[in-house]
Order: sequence, then C-alpha cells, then structure tokens
Amino acid sequence: MNEAVCNDDYLANMLKTWSEPSTSTLPWLDQLRSEAVDCVNALKMPTTRDEEWRFTDISPLIKLPFQVAKEPSQLKIKDIDHFFLGEAKIRMVFVDGQYSPQLSCITHDNDIIVGNLSALISCHSSEIATHLGQYTDFKNNVFAALNTSYLHDGALILVPHNKSVTAPIHLLFISTQKEVTSYSRCLIIAESSSNVTVIEDYVALQEVTYVTNSVTEISIADNAQVNHIRIQRESDQAFHIADCTASLAQGSQYKSTSVALGARISRYDLNVKLADEGAECSINGLALIKGQQLADTHTFIDHIKPNGCSQQLHKCIVDDTAHAVFNGKIMVRPKAQCTNSTQSSRNLLLSGKAQVDTKPQLEIFADDVKCAHGATVGQLDNEEIFYLRSRGLSEITARNLLTYAFGAEILERIPVISLRHQLEQTVLKQTQRN
Amino acid sequence: MSAVLQNLVNQPYKHGFVTEIESEVAPKGLNEAVIRMISAKKKEPEWLLTFRLEAYKKWLSMTEPHWQNVKYPKIDFQSISYYSAPKSKKKFASMDEVDPELLRTFEKLGIPLHERAALAGVAVDVIFDSVSVATTYKERLAEVGIIFCSISEAVQKYPDLIKKYLGTVVPVGDNYYAALNSAVFTDGSFCFIPKGVKCPMDLSTYFRINTESSGQFERTLIIAEDGASVSYLEGCTAPRFDTNQLHAAVVELVALDNADIKYSTVQNWYAGDENGIGGIYNFVTKRGLAKGINSRISWTQVETGSAITWKYPSCILRGDNSVGEFYSVAVTNNYQQADTGTKMIHIGKNTRSTIVSKGIAAGHSNSSYRGLVRVTPTADGARNYSQCDSMLIGDQCGAHTFPYIQVRNNSAKVEHEASTSKIGEDQLFYFAQRGIGAEEAVSMIINGFCKDVFQQLPMEFAVEATKLLSFKLEGSVG
Repeated sequence: MNEAVCNDDYLANMLKTWSEPSTSTLPWLDQLRSEAVDCVNALKMPTTRDEEWRFTDISPLIKLPFQVAKEPSQLKIKDIDHFFLGEAKIRMVFVDGQYSPQLSCITHDNDIIVGNLSALISCHSSEIATHLGQYTDFKNNVFAALNTSYLHDGALILVPHNKSVTAPIHLLFISTQKEVTSYSRCLIIAESSSNVTVIEDYVALQEVTYVTNSVTEISIADNAQVNHIRIQRESDQAFHIADCTASLAQGSQYKSTSVALGARISRYDLNVKLADEGAECSINGLALIKGQQLADTHTFIDHIKPNGCSQQLHKCIVDDTAHAVFNGKIMVRPKAQCTNSTQSSRNLLLSGKAQVDTKPQLEIFADDVKCAHGATVGQLDNEEIFYLRSRGLSEITARNLLTYAFGAEILERIPVISLRHQLEQTVLKQTQRN
Repeated sequence: MSAVLQNLVNQPYKHGFVTEIESEVAPKGLNEAVIRMISAKKKEPEWLLTFRLEAYKKWLSMTEPHWQNVKYPKIDFQSISYYSAPKSKKKFASMDEVDPELLRTFEKLGIPLHERAALAGVAVDVIFDSVSVATTYKERLAEVGIIFCSISEAVQKYPDLIKKYLGTVVPVGDNYYAALNSAVFTDGSFCFIPKGVKCPMDLSTYFRINTESSGQFERTLIIAEDGASVSYLEGCTAPRFDTNQLHAAVVELVALDNADIKYSTVQNWYAGDENGIGGIYNFVTKRGLAKGINSRISWTQVETGSAITWKYPSCILRGDNSVGEFYSVAVTNNYQQADTGTKMIHIGKNTRSTIVSKGIAAGHSNSSYRGLVRVTPTADGARNYSQCDSMLIGDQCGAHTFPYIQVRNNSAKVEHEASTSKIGEDQLFYFAQRGIGAEEAVSMIINGFCKDVFQQLPMEFAVEATKLLSFKLEGSVG
C-alpha cells in the first residue's frame, strides 16, 4: 500500500512544474498535452509486480523526482565537438532536453524539413498533428505520458515524397547537469518513396545522476526507408527511459540499430508496427554493460498485414554484477498471412555474478507463416578459443578477440563509418582484459 | 482439401458416457466442516487434518491468479462437491467382488484392470471420482519391497513416509490451486521404491471423473530412494457434461541419489463440445525434486483433452549432476485452450535439462508454451536445451510461446529455439503423388512432428497417443 502512495507522490511531484497551456494557437497540441496529463494521473509507476517490469526494479528512480532543468548550460562548440560525426551534414543539439540553435547545424537542401519541433509546429501544424502523439502508446506507458505532458522542444525531420537524404542526420542529446529530468522527443516522418538515415545519440558531459525520458515516433509511408541508429552512452549513474514507435506502411523498410553502453538503469521500448502489406524491418541491438548497470530492452514487432518480414538480432555482453534484460515479442495477427519472422537473442556472461533474463516471445494467430526464434546464454565457446590458440594466440588474446567480435557483429551493421569506429574503440576498450 | 481436413478433426469423444453407479456425494460447497468431514470419512490422523486446515487457511488468503493466457468464467468454488465416492465401498479381496458396473466402465475404457489382463504387464491403481477403487499386482510389487497403493491407504499403513514427504515438493501455499488441493484432496496414488530397486513393471494410475458437478482433487506422491527407478503412467477420462468441472491435482516426485523417475501422462479429459460448452478445467501442479546426486526426473505428457489445460510439470534440479527432462505434445481443437510448459530450476552443479514441446492448434483453439529455465548462482556448468515447435491448422487458432530464461551463472549454457509451421500444400502434394490420401498424409505429418515426444512414451501409451492424435485432428487440416 505504501508503495502505491509513494508512486503517486512521485508522479505528482513530476507534474508539479506542469502548467495548463495558455490557450495557444494550436488547440490540438494543448489537448494532446492535457490528455497526456490525464493519463499520468490515471497511471501508476510500474513495479516489479508488473510483467513488463518484472526484472527491472526502478525503485531507485522513484526516490529521485528530478525536475526539468531551469537553465540549460551554456556550452561552446569545442566542449562537445568530439561527439560530432564527419558524415552528418545536419546536426541538431539538445542540451538537457532544450534545443540549442547555436550548437546545431542545419542546412536546407533537398526540401527536407528539419528543425526544432516547437519552432516549426505552427507553420507545419497539419502535417505534425497527424503524426505527433499518434504512435506512442502513452495511455499505457507512464513515461511516454510524462514526456508528452511536457512536450515542447524536440527534433522534427520530415522527408518529402521521393526525396533521398544521403548524409545521415545527427540528433545529439547532451546531459550536463545533475539531478534534472530531460524530456527529449523526436518525430521522423518519411513520406512515400523517401529515404533517410537518422542517428539518435545520447551523451553526457559528466558522471552525474540525472534522468533522460525520451520518446521517438517514426512514420514511414509507402515504399519509404528509414535507417535509425540509436546510441545510448549516458553517464554510468544516469537513468535512461526511452520509448520508440515506428509505423510502417506498404512496402516500407525500417532498419534499427541500437547500442546501449551507459546508464545505471536503462530501459528501451521499441515498438514496430508493420501496419500494411509487404513491410520489412530489421532490428539489431547490443547492450554492453558492466559494474552495477542494468540494461533492459523490450521490443514488440507487430505483424498486422500479410507478407511482412522481420529480422531481429539482440546481443548482450554482461560483466561484473551487471544485469541485462531482453523481452522480444513478435505478434502475427490473424490477417498477417505469409509473414516471415526470425528473432535471436544472444547473451555472453563475462563474470560469475552477471545476470541475464531473456524472454523471446511469439504470439501467432495466422497459419501460413514462418516464424522462428532462438535464445542462448553462456560464455565463450571453448572450441573457438582452442581454434585461436592452435594458431598461436594466447588464451587472453583469444578471449578478448572473441568477446570483441561478439559485439562487433552488431556494430558492423551501422552504416556511418565514423560512428562505427568510435563505437568499435569503446567496445574494444571494454572487452579487453589482461 | 479443407473440407476433408475439417471432417477429419471433429470425431466424437468416445469416453463421454456416464456410469450409473451409486455414489456418495458430499453437499456442494467448501468450508472447514467439509474438510473435517473428508478427513473423518477417511479416518485420517490428526496431523493430516491440521495439514488440510492450514492449507485451507492459506487458500482463503490467496487470490486467483490471472496472468495465464487462458480465459474462463469465474469459478464458483462453493458450487463444487468436494467428495464423491462409489457407494459400495468396502475392501475387495479379489477383483471378482468389484461392482460389475464399475468393471464394465473400465473395460469400455480399455483399462487392463482385471488380473487376467496380466498380458499387459502393468500394475494399475484406479481412481474413480475421488476414490481409489482398485490396485492390481500389489503382492508382486510387495515382494521386491515396492509400495504401490492409494494415498488414503498409505496414510493408514505408512503414515511416517507420508508425513515425511507430503507437501515437501509442492508446499501447501505454493499456488492457489495447490492450496485448494492440499485442503480437500480425497485420494490419489502413492508409490515408494526402496533403495536399489528397479521397478519390474510400469506402474499406472487411471483417473475417471464420473459424477456431474464434482471436482476431482487427487494427490500423487512418488518417492524413489537411492538407486531406485520407476516408470509411472497416468491416464484420464471423464463423461460428457454441459457444465465445466474442475480438476486440480497435485503430483509430487522425489528422487534421491542415483534414482530415476519417469512420469508419463496421456490426458484425455472431456474437452467440451464443438462450441466449447462443457469440459474439464485441468489446473494441475506437478513438480519433481531431483534431490540426490545423479538423479533424473523425466516428464512426458500428451495433452489432448480438457477445455482448459493449465499446468507446468517442473523439475527442481538440486542434486549435483541431476537431470530434468520434459517432453510434451499439446493438441487443442474447437475452443480448447492450453497454457502448458515446464520449469527447470538448476541449483546443483553440472545439472542438465532438456525441453521438447510440440503444440498443435486447430479450430478456434489457443495453445501456449510457457517455460522457465532458471540457473541459480550455485549451478556451475548447468546446461539446458529447449525446443518448442508449434503447428497451426486453420487461421482461427493461435500459438504462443513465452519462454523465460534467467541465468545467474556464467558457466551455464542455455539454448532455446522455437518455430512455427503449418502443413503445407506441397507436403500434401508430395504424399498424394505417392498415392497417400490427404487424411493419412496429415496423420503421418503430425506423427512425424510429434515423434520426438512419442518416442519417450512407454510402448502401449505411444500406440494410444498416436491413435488419439489422429482421430483428434480428423477433419481439421486444410
């Protein structure tokens, strides 16, 4: 009972700074925000008694009702330029959840619309209204509801019909202050036959405690392609709770590669709706954690219409007393005949106290489908180590090499070379032992 | 093609008759007085009554679980009769004295109850409604020191053994239905294999629910001492009623050092009609404790009946090098629902477990596999392999897989794979090419699909299971 009261307290605290919008020019936006507040009030903080949060105890977070940063830190380009990516022509930088035009770099070629959501919302109201808040299930997700309540700044990317954006777009979310909550939001709209690559990148400037609450919505129209790369390298004391929903129209393609390296507790919910015929998605994930970190990834691939195709590979490398959680649900609805779906969860435990909870889940209501999933948990294969040793590598080198290779399989799927190299260095550093 | 398959599935339930036999039925409802009445009727010692009352108290404090992937209207526990026994109950000196009506029932079911059925070579304990009516081959088993009798008899004759083991694997408050069972269980089988004895024949229990609106709550306890081994079979049927009946059994297995217990079930309770009316709710708790080193517990189940099947035969692998196995075929048709699977809890070093689960869903049914593989920090070198395959027949049914894998030890190796498939047109075409009709082809494909599990069954059961499956699915493929 106590717990319930405390939860409500937490949410009440989180809404303390929320104020009724002073009737803006966009009634739909005001309505969306108030609806979200109603949802927050109706919902409770999840506990480990909720199936979806069974292995992820967020009670440490409940003790810390951090508010939105009052003043964003004043950063110079040189403070953060080591995060920049050479390939990205367009860069949007958010500091503690607020958009920073000085640090961002936006070029207007190709007719694509990129910019801060709060600035562009009035001139593109109708396009945004049809998508914003329409995909994420904030009615059942208290964190997404909180995010939507505080909806203000965010990244908006709208790629018009037939446009192909060759250079990746870099969205950099920087946390600089301790004990604040940042609400970050992304809306990616790919119109029919368009093509775009987006990098969502969460970084920290210092090792402090803070909370990132992020919501991403991606709408992919007929035959469009979105390549979504998500890097979470928060501070090791941070909390990172994120929700991403992608909705795929006929013949569209969604590729997602997510890498979780940081945060004390991180949770990533990825929902992919194959809402029309012949949609395809490819989901890859890597969690590389150590110390007392907990990384929880929940994915939900929903096959709604026929001829859909999904492929998923999720890997976890867990060291020290860290804890990795994976829950991958694949749903094949009654009409989704001729679906082809594969899912694989691979987990490598590097220490005796590391923990893994994995639950690949299939729910199938159509008979003409090909679905398979697999999961493994274990340590490095002795035969593989022997093979390398027989070629003259020391045992340590062989182990390091195999551990690195285990993670690198996911990194190889990142098409942005500079980013891949950065991550490869990080993984190399973390998997090497003497 | 579809029509052929449809006709194929919808065979009538052949065990649906009611035997006109006078029964003593307790009034409906559950309260302390009923529990005292059951205990008094069975002339139980005081400690067992205390055990029951404690369980009842626990049960009252618990709420019905709702996490399962099956749906049913709320059960009114006060409208169930908790005791029903054939009236002419006295101790029979030989089979000839048994009520001929009862014998005919079992003959109809094809159970080799009569001693003359010695050819079958199986010792049978028969539970009719809630009470054990006959046990065969007792003397021959007693020669080698094996105790095989009804649990009520064991309570009278071997109270120390029962007291020592009852409720140790499935504690009274383990779950809602186990608590209910512990409070009201009426009979069941008891089997004790002493040190070093290999049981010379398969042991079998046959369960039959006969009375309408009675629940069946039997309790089975099997103990294999050091180096002992036993193969135990269980079969179930029930007559056709339009009301749903609850079957909440508890099975406990204990295997000590180097012991080996093999437990096979062919479950064919009445499944309800084609509109999902009636049928048994089969909510059973089965658990084996591999307590000693090198012990082995193996569950094999063929689940074809019941409106709802909801059970997870589990193994707690406590002894070092102990082995747990689970082989399951679950077939659902019409409006049947099944949520079944296993739990493998690895505690001892170098423990191994294997899970092979095959689910076949047809009609409007739903079949779920739910399994847990847990490797605790002490289980160095633990190894698990799980395989769950589902086959869907028709587009109105569902197949679900919920495997939970929890690993707390880095020397463990856990593998899980699952797949879903259907009987393809090309497969049927291939058979047709070779002159084999659709019906037979489907039967062959399904038997091939289930082969890994049927191989684990004792011979007679394997034959029965194969037959059961082929008529169960008659008419559903297409």
